[in-house]
Amino acid sequence: MPGETQLPASVSVRPARWSGRGAILSWGIAIVIALIAPHLMASGFGLSLLCRMAIAIVFALSFNMLLGQGGMLDFGHAVFFGLGGFATMHLLKLVDAGLVLPVVILPLAGALGGGLAALPAGWLATRREGTSFAMITLGIAELAVALVVMIPQWFGGEEGVSGDRSGGVALFGFDFGSALQIYYVLAAWAVIAAALMWGVTRTPLGRLGNAVRDNPLRVDFLGYDPARIRFLTFLLAGIFAGVAGGMQALNDEIMTVSNIGSAASGAVLLMTYIGGVGTFSGPVIGAVLVTLLQVALGTVTDAWQLYSGLIFIVMVLWAPGGISGIVQSHAPILRAGRGARLLGPYLALAPAMLLTLAGTVGLAELAYRLQAVRGGAKAGRLFGLTVTPTDPWQWLIPLALFILGAVLVHRLAPPARAAWQDAAAQTARGGA
Amino acid sequence: MQEILLILLNGLVYGLLLFMLSSGLTLIVGMMGVLNFAHASFYMLGAYFAYTVSVGIGFWPALVIAPLLVGVLGVAVERYGLRAVHHHGKLAELLFTVGLAFVIGEVVPLVWGRTAVPYRVPAALDVPAFALGGIQYQAYRLFMMAVSVAIFAGLYAALARTRLGLVIRAALTHPEMVAMLGHNVPRVFTLVFGAGCALAGLAGVIGGNVFTTTPGMAESLGPIVFAVVIMGGLGSIPGALIASLVIGFIQTASVTLDAPLGTVLGRIGLPLDPHGALGQLTIAHAAPAVPYLLLVLMLALNPRGLMGARAD
Amino acid sequence: MSAPALSLRGLHKSFGATSILRDVSLDIPAGTRHAIIGPNGAGKSTLFHLITGRLRLDRGSVWLAGDDITGQSPHAIFRRGLARSFQVTSLFPRLSVFENLRIAGMRAAGCGHAFWRRIDGFRDLTARIEEMLALLDLGPRRDVAAGALAYAEQRALEIGLALVGGAHTILLDEPTAGMSRAETERAVALLRRLSAGRTLVMIEHDLSVVFDLADAITVLADGGVVASGPPEAVRGDARVRAAYLGAAAEVLT
Repeated sequence: MPGETQLPASVSVRPARWSGRGAILSWGIAIVIALIAPHLMASGFGLSLLCRMAIAIVFALSFNMLLGQGGMLDFGHAVFFGLGGFATMHLLKLVDAGLVLPVVILPLAGALGGGLAALPAGWLATRREGTSFAMITLGIAELAVALVVMIPQWFGGEEGVSGDRSGGVALFGFDFGSALQIYYVLAAWAVIAAALMWGVTRTPLGRLGNAVRDNPLRVDFLGYDPARIRFLTFLLAGIFAGVAGGMQALNDEIMTVSNIGSAASGAVLLMTYIGGVGTFSGPVIGAVLVTLLQVALGTVTDAWQLYSGLIFIVMVLWAPGGISGIVQSHAPILRAGRGARLLGPYLALAPAMLLTLAGTVGLAELAYRLQAVRGGAKAGRLFGLTVTPTDPWQWLIPLALFILGAVLVHRLAPPARAAWQDAAAQTARGGA
Repeated sequence: MQEILLILLNGLVYGLLLFMLSSGLTLIVGMMGVLNFAHASFYMLGAYFAYTVSVGIGFWPALVIAPLLVGVLGVAVERYGLRAVHHHGKLAELLFTVGLAFVIGEVVPLVWGRTAVPYRVPAALDVPAFALGGIQYQAYRLFMMAVSVAIFAGLYAALARTRLGLVIRAALTHPEMVAMLGHNVPRVFTLVFGAGCALAGLAGVIGGNVFTTTPGMAESLGPIVFAVVIMGGLGSIPGALIASLVIGFIQTASVTLDAPLGTVLGRIGLPLDPHGALGQLTIAHAAPAVPYLLLVLMLALNPRGLMGARAD
Repeated sequence: MSAPALSLRGLHKSFGATSILRDVSLDIPAGTRHAIIGPNGAGKSTLFHLITGRLRLDRGSVWLAGDDITGQSPHAIFRRGLARSFQVTSLFPRLSVFENLRIAGMRAAGCGHAFWRRIDGFRDLTARIEEMLALLDLGPRRDVAAGALAYAEQRALEIGLALVGGAHTILLDEPTAGMSRAETERAVALLRRLSAGRTLVMIEHDLSVVFDLADAITVLADGGVVASGPPEAVRGDARVRAAYLGAAAEVLT
């Protein structure tokens, strides 16, 4: 079937073939941002946000070693994150009790914890591929949660396990108690872990992982055991997820069952996919953006979870390459100077999308206000207006916006898409 | 003795409910190869729709209306969602249903609140049907069993006797072949998906009031349903029935027989320190893990399941 | 005399009640080009699947350069020096042409599953791939995703994947299927050049290709070997004409 090798136009194909200079430049910029960011967002709130981003970046990158690089959907990736975190926490408690060990290196315990957990899990899961693999990881995730709940002696039951990162011996006068100090520790770990994971994509195993994602059968006929490649990739991903968990343990100074559970696994899937699974930088974008939105929107609305779910569905349906995929599919067109031709159709589409968005947000927020009113609140404020969600007429406005927007998008999306396909095809021809 | 009887009766009810849920998913998985992650979410919607309808016009209309609503929703999801991502492959389809489960999980508490709703067993059936060995057995549970058995029989007969059933059975094992023979496979897919969702909705209607109707019900039951479908073998209705009953009995039994794991293992010759971390576990603690253990082992070691027609 | 590159001894295979191959025995001397021809459904592709470990044998044994490889996994068989191509193009669609060839050449270049060595550091491998790109006429397409290639280019790459790894025995399943006259001629030249010093076994429908390239021909019909030998002998074999050639016989004369 020649159709098997056909490629959806929206999925990026070029592996990261940056020239040495481009890669060094990108990494340099990333490191500079990591260094100066805390001084631009010096508030306690800003610092804690940056710490969470650093953790999320490592976690999402480790997840994408499986999903994007290896074609494996792991429904239980938080297991390795969480167990890495618990391992770190236990070591931290030993440090608090007098063990002389610099706190900085504790995420290594996370790597060990995540890796040890990934050994049996990977052995079971990587014998299969595709949907079966995903289902096994789902089962493993549920098993892990059940085990953690069952053994409170090790995992602290409902309260979890907590420690004090400044309880150990101070190193060169740093005790890592302050938010700024812990930020730099986490940022350093994030840069190191990300660099290592980027390195893996450029090794034989990294390439073989891509190959197994695309066509495991053929890999088997080229001298490599696909299951073994999946296993090794899985192990590495578990180790790096464990590092992220160790970072989390240092940051929060507590680990609970919720760090292992399906919600945490779902969150990493969400941010990775939204950022884009097709590129190395996609998960980084997703981690930063989703963490930011989560915190920013979390203070304004209760509907954040709903919005992230809706964004996810929209991405799966219309932008499977995520944000980085959108950027990647437009960059060559813009570079070739063909961007102007997209401007018209895109500008026509944008207001329609905004209308749909406004309608969706309006409906969701009204629903949340309605709940609040039922719960005893007087009236809600929405976009600076006082709203009475019990009045059905007030629902008509967002509903009308949504329907109008959806109809317009339905009309205007095809020409925009056609314009893009045109420009992309011309660029490919012109560039070849 | 009384204990065993209770386990058997309750296990049967729970197992049959699991079957009702998994029969729909079995059809969908077997035919379309889509492990619909949102299947338990449709179950949840069924329960909530039934609650709302039964508050308005009573349980019996709800028994018909709620599954129909869920079925229509399923048709829409297949037609406008799944079909659109189909050409991106299995992973994209799975991801779409994951997103769907996520969104339904957020919308339900938004509409009906974060706590359980008082969805009750209809008064007419909330009476003891018979007493056996000192146990009063509720009539509604008999009704549940009857519905489940009727569904099994109905599905079996429909698949075996009707022309559509023939196409579906053929598509379970040879989807490309059926398409080549000129059947409108997409339309059959939509139908099967809608029917599968309606079955999940029906399970919600008759299960939501015996168990509880809360926003967490999908998340807690979802993975168990996967375990059943995979154990039963993707696409096999009798397999799903057997797996449902097995898991139903095991879970009910382990919750009821609340013995410490150390004692039990000691009895079968595996000594375990009764005061250590593992020794203090009771079977009730370990019970929730059982279906997942079965799921993982089954998939890793024998992916065809008990009676599966398709391996992947 | 050295062991044959490939030796099949009494292969049997059935699917359910249907017998696909019955008692197929064949010796292919090292360094020769061998064509397997026969009508559709004769079991040619199944034979390849049995040799390369894709399917399990019911009975019989397969020997590669004197070693019994019966029942081994495809990757183990590849490591012993047997590579193959597929009748249905089987590439890595999202990887570039260059990366496709690199995956295929990695084992021979001594890359394990290392995750601590840079893949660009294997310079011999890179040089070898550049050479293959030129031979396949895919040089300008090296950075294009394999899934975005034209059909003929995909077929060329399919052959390239089998040849780049340095295997001593190469099985090609209909290498020229779907190619135009000119493309076929180029492919034949390529095969002639790259099979020097190696053993080549190919399933081929295009009889002009077969008689152009092959040192020996085996005719497979209805699950069994009808005739096997040098082209002239097979050409004159009455049983072959009866069993297979029929209408195509004029090509031979």
